[in-house]
Amino acid sequence: MRFKTLLLLLCLLLPQFALADGPPKKPNYPEGVSSISPGSELWGAVRQRDGVLLDGVSQVRGVDAGILINEQGYRWARFRVSELTLYSAWALAGVLVLIFLIYVIRGKVGIEGGLSGNMVRRFSDYERIVHWVLAIVFLFLALSGLILLLGRPLLIPLFGKEVFSLMASASKEGHNLVGPLFLVSLLMMIFSFVRRNIYEKGDLTWLLKGGGFIGKDHVSGGFFNMGEKTWYWMVILIGLVISVSGLILVMPIFGQGRIIMEIAHVIHVIGALALIVVSIGHMYMGSIGTEGTLEGMKTGYVDINWADAHHDRWGRECHEKDLIVSAEEYARLVGKPSVDEADGRETT
Amino acid sequence: MIANLIDGPLWYFSLAVFSLGVLWQLVSIIFASRKPDLSVARGAAGPAALKTVFSRFLPHREIRPQVGIQYIAGYLFHLGLFALLFFAAPHVVFLEENLLGFGWTTMPHWAFIVSAQAAFFGLIILWLRRMVNPVSRLISTTDDHVAAILTFVVMLTGCLALLEGFEALRLLHRFTVELWLIYFPFSALMHTFTFIPSRAFTGAWFGRRGVDA
Amino acid sequence: MSEKLEKGLEVLRSEVDSKVHSFFSSCVNCGICAEACLFYTETQDPRYTPIYKTEPLRKLWRNEYSLGGKIRSMLGLSKPLTEADFADWEELVYDGCSMCGRCSMVCPVGVDISGMIFKVKHAMSKAGFSPEGLVGATQRAVDIGSPMGITMKAVMATIKHAEENTGLKIPMDVEGADYMALLSSNEIALYPEYIESLAKIFDHAGVSWTLSSDAYEATNSGLQIGNKTIAGQLVERVVAGAEKLGVKNVISPECGHAYTALRWEGPNFIGRAYPFKVVHIMELLDELLAAGRIKTTGMESEKLTFHDPCSIVRRGGINAQPRNLLNQISDNFVEMADHGNMNWCCGGGGGVSSNERAEELKLTAFNKKKSQIEATGAEAVVTACSNCRMVMEEGVETNEMEVELLGLTEMIAEHLEPRAAS
Repeated sequence: MRFKTLLLLLCLLLPQFALADGPPKKPNYPEGVSSISPGSELWGAVRQRDGVLLDGVSQVRGVDAGILINEQGYRWARFRVSELTLYSAWALAGVLVLIFLIYVIRGKVGIEGGLSGNMVRRFSDYERIVHWVLAIVFLFLALSGLILLLGRPLLIPLFGKEVFSLMASASKEGHNLVGPLFLVSLLMMIFSFVRRNIYEKGDLTWLLKGGGFIGKDHVSGGFFNMGEKTWYWMVILIGLVISVSGLILVMPIFGQGRIIMEIAHVIHVIGALALIVVSIGHMYMGSIGTEGTLEGMKTGYVDINWADAHHDRWGRECHEKDLIVSAEEYARLVGKPSVDEADGRETT
Repeated sequence: MIANLIDGPLWYFSLAVFSLGVLWQLVSIIFASRKPDLSVARGAAGPAALKTVFSRFLPHREIRPQVGIQYIAGYLFHLGLFALLFFAAPHVVFLEENLLGFGWTTMPHWAFIVSAQAAFFGLIILWLRRMVNPVSRLISTTDDHVAAILTFVVMLTGCLALLEGFEALRLLHRFTVELWLIYFPFSALMHTFTFIPSRAFTGAWFGRRGVDA
Repeated sequence: MSEKLEKGLEVLRSEVDSKVHSFFSSCVNCGICAEACLFYTETQDPRYTPIYKTEPLRKLWRNEYSLGGKIRSMLGLSKPLTEADFADWEELVYDGCSMCGRCSMVCPVGVDISGMIFKVKHAMSKAGFSPEGLVGATQRAVDIGSPMGITMKAVMATIKHAEENTGLKIPMDVEGADYMALLSSNEIALYPEYIESLAKIFDHAGVSWTLSSDAYEATNSGLQIGNKTIAGQLVERVVAGAEKLGVKNVISPECGHAYTALRWEGPNFIGRAYPFKVVHIMELLDELLAAGRIKTTGMESEKLTFHDPCSIVRRGGINAQPRNLLNQISDNFVEMADHGNMNWCCGGGGGVSSNERAEELKLTAFNKKKSQIEATGAEAVVTACSNCRMVMEEGVETNEMEVELLGLTEMIAEHLEPRAAS
């Protein structure tokens, strides 16, 4: 938990990079007649050359109306266009390459002895709905968000300005409308999974043994292993940060000035990127990366051998409480139509 | 060229298919055979029929725990959709200019956003439940999925065109609407109209027996 | 195409009416009906979803009557029904459905699902896709007069015993009586105390009544198997018997489907209204109680609960009467949490109890009733249907529950205030 708080605080400090340049130096004038223009002090202040924000007085009524030129905003814009988009693109490319390499080198994590066909219930219908609604909303927001972030350097060269402006407008409208749904889905996820994600004894050992990912050593795990729990807390905590910053951005009607919006924007993007990068790993591990995992989220049932291999403490409970369901019974419960229906059901 | 098609002939075609198709379906219900019930009624069928048309909007107390999600998500979706269809400013303006010649008070922008969010959220949850629950997975047909996804696409394209600044986005939305209108009479979407005689028939059947259904 | 399939399709087509159009147009496959069906809730098998049981009829409607279906059929894109559509659905419709109607109560778009299932049963029974047990019972009903093979001789013997036990004369074939009482084979075989109770109560209340030697059987196997023609034949016997004696009313006994068959579906099966009224024994007793013609004494001490027979309460409309009667003789009556119109089926209605093949499924389905009873903490369950009573006795015994099963008419008879000898 402390690690997470630290990361959070670090994120809050990041906007300082926008001010990395520091104020430019005053020119060196020769001795003698002072030819400094009397207006230069005023304009120096207006351009915030000594790093002090000038909040002037204006007849225009509104937030930030007293700021004539937003020097910090200029720095933010440069940061966004250069460092932020660049590092984001690298991070994304990097994780895709990493996953590809993992797949090529480590391959699919199998189960010793293979799948048995005997299943045990892992997730209820409601839990699966919560997961998938969050996933769908997240994917849409990620895609539309990335179009908005990386569009200019990446997509304009590809599609041209007219098409991109269309994509950007669509993405902005979609992103803003679907955004709050992420918060709602997140709250649903908090309540349905929090109990099983509390760190417990054995989690550190799991981490130190690399989760059993490298080599064939068997590592003990509970219902959720330490890796999954960490991903959960990332999603919840960073997700909340993204949601709050997102709400600040999408509802500029509470007196937020440009500075707050800029800081919120940077936090929003960095948080989102963190989740996108790790989610790619999550999607990989949950599907092609591990044998027998996707079934859990698809049908709600997992193979008992899978449970014993990856979450043995939970698997043991299933054996003790006799919760195992035969392959035949499983087929019946998940509603596979009866064998004789060669024609299948009529579809319109 | 495509723009002219979408704003012109395709629009009229889709309207025609929709209205004629819906009319045909309703007419076949009304004029299909119906044998009179020769038993002596205990209660009045008519009032019971009307009552049931409204009473089925809420689930019986006894099954509420099991069906809570479906009703909540269902209402989020349906109410959100109706609010959007009939009270979203762009729609009212469209109806006034293209069909009715008159308009009415529209929702404020924030209400539009909330309705859209409710509609999206409800539909996603409902469709996910259809995929996740063994019962609905067994009994759902391609039609059910197409109807849900098509409706979602209509809502999504509408949301994407919200700025009302790009012709291509507006046309995309209108095109998906036209597809939806053409699909409507041949699909489960007909429940929009047929739920009324359906509830009424059952209400009458139980009402004759003196049962409050 | 086989003869069986042809017949099945012919009957299915004859069942497509206005209701079928609106119901199948409206169903969006939400699956809420499954949550109301005890065969689904106790097995978690999605194939017992009520609307799934109507699939043969639904498939036909989609292919031949729906707008989209007609176009697809024209283009050769639809899949016609095969024998498998009937054969594979036989178990779902006959073993996995007791026609309790709870699904029809909960459908958000108002589909009368159990009504649709009955239409499917009609087609299946006429095409020869019915369980052996029911076919045999129906045959016996038509040939002998009772699905359990109980002849008039056996009835007379039971009546004689009843007369001996009560010291009362049980009227037979009395012309012009006010009420003609029917019996169910179950009562004659398992609960003959019902006949004694009738005698005592009617003597106490001064009711003019009779039995009929031509029409003593209320049970309608035709209804249970879904064969409307045979159902009509069996109803016609009752009507003929009642007309012959010129009675004003016919009493439907403590039997669920018999009430449905005679009171509600009968006139439609035979194509005409009756010249007499049909009254359920619960209705009659309640009327007599309200009129002060039945006077009771004493209260039952043990904790009682009431099981609502589906065909009498939810599908028959007799909800208040059993409760009035029970409250008259018990001050320790607790309702099940889901009671009245939304009570759960015993699992044996609609012909399921006559279907040996469905024995195991029926006992699994009984778990719902078991949990209901246990939740009330009742020592006895009262009901007003002899089939429910028999099914629940079997379930109680299998589950080693310490619960008694009681019939309401008998209980009323036991609590009659003794009148001075007339």
